[in-house]
Amino acid sequence: MRPFELLEPRTLREAIAALDSESARPMSGGTAVMLMMKAGVLRPSRLVSLRRLGLEGIQIKENSLSVGAMTTLRALEKSEVVRKGWPVIARTLRTLSNVRVRNVATLGGHLAHGDPHMDLPPLLSALGATVTIAGAAGERTSPVEALYRGYLDTTLKSGELITRVEVPALGRKRAAYLKCTTRSADDWPALGVAVVLDGDKPTIVVSAATDKPTRLASVEAAEGLQIESDLHGSAAYKKQLLRVYLKRAIDEARNASH
Amino acid sequence: MKRATQATETPQVGRSVPRLESWLKVTGKAEYVHNLRLPGMLYGKIFRSNIAHGRIKRIDVSAAQALAGVYRVVTGQDIRKIVPEPYYGPAFHDQPILALDKVRYVGEPVAVVLASDPHVAEEAVHLISAEYEELPAVYDEVEAMTSKAIVHDALKPAGTFPDLKYLKGKTNTNIALDFRLRRGDAGKALKGAERVFEHRFRTQQVMHTPLEPLVSVAESTERSLTIHTASQSPSFVRIEIARLLGWPENRIRVRVPFLGGGFGAKLYIKLEALVAVLSLLTKKPVKVSLTMEEQFFTITKHASTFRIRSGVTKGGRLVARDCEVWWNGGAYADIGPRVTQKSGFTAPGPYDVQDVSIDSYALYTNLPPAGALRGFGIPQLVWAYESHTDMIAREMGIDPIEFRRKNLLREGRPQATGTLMKDAALEKVLERLSVLMSWEKPIERGSGSIRRGRGIAIGFKACIANTTSLAAVNINADGSVTVYTSCVDMGQGSDTAMAQIAAEVLQVAAESVTVVHSDTDVTPFDMATLGSRSLFHSGNAVKLAAEDALQKIVQLKKELSLPADAAIADVFRKKYGMRAGSVTGTGSFIPPYTPPDENGQTDNATPFWMVGASGVEVEVDTETGRVKVTRLVNVADVGTPINPRVVETQLSGGAIMQLGFSLFEKMLFDEGGQLRNASLAEYKIPGFLDVPENIINEAVVAEQRNGPFGGKGVGETATFGVSPAIANAIHDAVGVRLTELPMTPEAVFMALQKK
Repeated sequence: MRPFELLEPRTLREAIAALDSESARPMSGGTAVMLMMKAGVLRPSRLVSLRRLGLEGIQIKENSLSVGAMTTLRALEKSEVVRKGWPVIARTLRTLSNVRVRNVATLGGHLAHGDPHMDLPPLLSALGATVTIAGAAGERTSPVEALYRGYLDTTLKSGELITRVEVPALGRKRAAYLKCTTRSADDWPALGVAVVLDGDKPTIVVSAATDKPTRLASVEAAEGLQIESDLHGSAAYKKQLLRVYLKRAIDEARNASH
Repeated sequence: MKRATQATETPQVGRSVPRLESWLKVTGKAEYVHNLRLPGMLYGKIFRSNIAHGRIKRIDVSAAQALAGVYRVVTGQDIRKIVPEPYYGPAFHDQPILALDKVRYVGEPVAVVLASDPHVAEEAVHLISAEYEELPAVYDEVEAMTSKAIVHDALKPAGTFPDLKYLKGKTNTNIALDFRLRRGDAGKALKGAERVFEHRFRTQQVMHTPLEPLVSVAESTERSLTIHTASQSPSFVRIEIARLLGWPENRIRVRVPFLGGGFGAKLYIKLEALVAVLSLLTKKPVKVSLTMEEQFFTITKHASTFRIRSGVTKGGRLVARDCEVWWNGGAYADIGPRVTQKSGFTAPGPYDVQDVSIDSYALYTNLPPAGALRGFGIPQLVWAYESHTDMIAREMGIDPIEFRRKNLLREGRPQATGTLMKDAALEKVLERLSVLMSWEKPIERGSGSIRRGRGIAIGFKACIANTTSLAAVNINADGSVTVYTSCVDMGQGSDTAMAQIAAEVLQVAAESVTVVHSDTDVTPFDMATLGSRSLFHSGNAVKLAAEDALQKIVQLKKELSLPADAAIADVFRKKYGMRAGSVTGTGSFIPPYTPPDENGQTDNATPFWMVGASGVEVEVDTETGRVKVTRLVNVADVGTPINPRVVETQLSGGAIMQLGFSLFEKMLFDEGGQLRNASLAEYKIPGFLDVPENIINEAVVAEQRNGPFGGKGVGETATFGVSPAIANAIHDAVGVRLTELPMTPEAVFMALQKK
């Protein structure tokens, strides 16, 4: 690991300014960034910690769920507000990585990382969630779904930070997220499928088997999806998993109380 | 409250004494080498080969050496300044401390950077470059038999084992050892058999994954060397370092505090020779601590191929077995040749078979070295012979338990080596498993995409021979008791067991006994903590030492005309006129053993047998191939449990570890011998959610008559049957047969598609 400086700015403006360098990286929970640095994949000269920016908190705003980017996944999982209004998020979090990771990993970091094996990007995409992004040029909003360009590749520009996540009320919609691991139970998934039913009309977002969370126009579109072989399984096998889990996720959404 | 050292009526053996070190561990006070920092200490980081086989043309360390903060960069040629012939290993002297002339696998240590800041050392490693002349490589154990790619130019067996001497200097071969056993005439018996079955099975290369990775620290003066190391075999480390340096043993001290898991990864020499030489070269303390990832390139478990053929009568009686086993030992022999032989002789399984033939081959390949891993080769063998046995039973329409019952080795019958079975509760274990599995009752078979099935397997192991343990027990002037043993507590609870054994003899509370950790300057010789040998061997030595100390106290009482029930403190007070003195008892234990003849025959192959059986119930999802083990029953003969709670946790721990090897763990290599999943993100071990909801672990009522208080080892026993029991259950559930580990969902699904 090469030497680096660690900054802990107190304001968003300072944080954004501190990120104005090619080899500066923001750090939220650090669960991914530290592993990548240890592996030598990432060699920043500066880490900008976001933990003192006051970006934590879970609220209801005009029926939407509004979550500060530095809220830990564990706080989200335990939140009564989330459990009542968005039970599918709380259910998904229960098997997201493990409790040690959930205790420190944050929602903003989780969404900004861009690894397709993560659980909330497909689910929040299917739920129509949006993020607020702050940068040197000011604030903008983006659908979660539009954050992802490819494997570990997001539409966040250098120096931009996710500050807040908004999830619209479920209303009468029903939702389910199913994932499938092919090694240990707490492995990265080989496949993640999020389904949101508005009446009979499904919104389907697939991940893990694809290089970014990918929306399927219909159940039938699953057959045409580009899937590559990797350490989790062959392309043919993952295609079969998709067929099975898509059907099961739709069934689960149908039977979900929310 | 009773004083801790007061004589007690409570039995010390057979009681679930809470682990002596548990409080230290949960409060973070237990000593581990990872936490050790010495003044002036340098950290070493290893530069490794990125090719599988090649001659070293050039190593350029100049940029690394020039990096600010780097103390020194060391290569194999520098090692030669201290050790001219720097090859080590327990069975073969084939492994260089750092690569010399050739590299033989991806990940082999080639150079070391030393710096007082480990991050600087690590950064400098990236600045080293090496050029190689690439050589053809071989990875598969069966191909290695005939491959033109030769891993070692000549075989170099260590002098330690007289039976390996004949291999010395053999060239143009990858066969490190060919073990052969012949009993009767298996070929003829197979020809005459009414039914003949033949199958081939494979297992994969996996890693031990101790939570504490390998770590060693050395400090030296002109004439002394101290090594602090996470080792299962401090006595062996001292002998081997003494041999390499040409020093007497009394100038080398090897200290071992607690280990964060071992499982066979921390045996013999791993980093110890390296840190010793680095310390002597720099005259500074040197520490090398591996990352979790580097462990993949250090020691692993043998991949294997096993071809097994059985002759059976129409009535289901096994009459002949012919076994051919190929062990993928990787680039260096480590203890592989011993696995090949000492486990190899049980390849036909715990069955009474008249005519047996075994050929077991230790092969060199261009993969990371393989050694002992919780079972010493036995789980690979049981995987094959218990899958095979089930296939025969089901094919012949005989109930799998009934088939085994018919063929099981009975007490007093000769095993394949000719050694008569003694204190091996095979029948009891099988019958108890049958009861706990409710085998007589049919199970619910499931519906829709979920299908249920069940399976069992039984295996056995001969404890390794010929090995010895010594121990000492001190009775101090106040009557308190200290045990000195080089048995290493690596998490298996040996401190507690040794304390219980000494306490039982001396009638004190086990909780009051202090067990001194391995320190070769202090604790007596012990071969190693491996192969479930320590409870039996070190336990017997501690028992003898405690009895010797007790005898000395009895003698003192006589000399001092004290009554037999006089308090120990009074004995010393009367003898010395004040609180002073101590009594030391010593114990030396080496069980009898007869080396096998050229046909593998011996009348005494082992001091004791371990017996383990597992039964599972599974749910198979026919749409995805996912297998869920809903119930896991482990039954074992451990003799008389010294600590029933520890026995239970050893059984469940072994079984859960084997569950990972059965279902998903696998080191995946590409065609160039590069490991594709060298991280815990991509190499998964079982977590809590993988543990079956319903686990039963049971030791049958048994006694190992030559064991301490009837006890024997348990660390490996529950690993034996898990894999084949699952394969047999999958077959029972959905009718497909897997012959290769791991049994991934994809493998099950693809087999279902073929059906």
